[in-house]
Amino acid sequence: MRFVIHLLLLVTVALGIGFGLSYYALTDGRLFGAAVVGPWIAWPDVGTAAPNPYTRGHLTRTAGLQLGLSEGLQFTATTDSAGDTLSLACTYRIAGKTPLATFWTLVALDADGVNLARPGEDAAMRSNAIARAHDGAILIYVGKQLAPQNWLELTGTGNFRLVLTLYDTAVFSGFGTGGETMPSIQREGCA
Amino acid sequence: MIRTLLWLLGGAMLGGIIHLVVILTLPALAEDTIWTRIAALKAQNKMVILPQVVPGEPNPLGLDPDVAYGVCQIDLNAGPAYLSGIMPDAFWSVALFNKQGIITYSTTNRDGIGQTLEMGIFNADQTRLLAQQQLDIAEGLLVVESVDDDIFVLVRLAPPHQAMRQRFEDELAKVKCGIKTPAPAPA
Repeated sequence: MRFVIHLLLLVTVALGIGFGLSYYALTDGRLFGAAVVGPWIAWPDVGTAAPNPYTRGHLTRTAGLQLGLSEGLQFTATTDSAGDTLSLACTYRIAGKTPLATFWTLVALDADGVNLARPGEDAAMRSNAIARAHDGAILIYVGKQLAPQNWLELTGTGNFRLVLTLYDTAVFSGFGTGGETMPSIQREGCA
Repeated sequence: MIRTLLWLLGGAMLGGIIHLVVILTLPALAEDTIWTRIAALKAQNKMVILPQVVPGEPNPLGLDPDVAYGVCQIDLNAGPAYLSGIMPDAFWSVALFNKQGIITYSTTNRDGIGQTLEMGIFNADQTRLLAQQQLDIAEGLLVVESVDDDIFVLVRLAPPHQAMRQRFEDELAKVKCGIKTPAPAPA
């Protein structure tokens, strides 16, 4: 009887670790090839001709059109800078500087990749269409509640993620302005 | 107690092996891949413009709403491929994908090629023949060697404003893409 219990324990632990670790590696991935800058996560290897096995798995799982190494890099945030999950019930303030790039776009997506912008409004916020501070820093409000200045107006309920796509960027290349800085995501308030 | 811990350790080691097997075999086992999604667009040897992302609608390819996309699927077994056209004056880029969705080559118009998109795509054998013929390569022509025969080319074009999108997509649709068939032998 003890042998059977031990065997069940072994199988449970093996399946839990095996599949659980695989799921984690291909979603969050921060221990397995993804780069983390504050709340933002990117897969720097995704546009290379010889990605590592974890990035290959990520590519297979997303089955999307990734950016090549010279085209740009995509960052995703599922939490704010405090580590709390992004929720459509709240308004967020994205502030700071972005890495050097020809231009960038910011979109909000649900878990299935559906764009959450309010129908009739811009589906994405773009770097050349926002008001900036004198030092070039950005200040963008994201959420359903009316906000001043640059506002990415969303709709829906539940959690969401932010995707910041940098085109023609020098991030992680060593040619940037030093230190890969990304804007912070601060929660303003919740309805 | 020690025996139970040893069983747990064995389970953890077996879990590690399962993890490695899952990661390494996933690309080969997947059925809904980027290749099947692109094949459904029927873009063999022609430039197909992808529909714009609409809020609330599915976006399985992960497209950017502010960017126009043109895709062309090519089989290099049939011969070397070409991509030819004049792009609007805005940021654009081109990338070659293989069946696994891995980008084997990419460049942008910031690399000094301006508005002219002229690209020849060859597999290893065709590249060798090209080298043996010692042809003069026209200035501005990008010669790209592909390890794989089954590939697709993706051109991204970023209109400065959405009001210009339709015109930019029309220009992108004019880009010629396909297999270069050999000229008929003289009679």
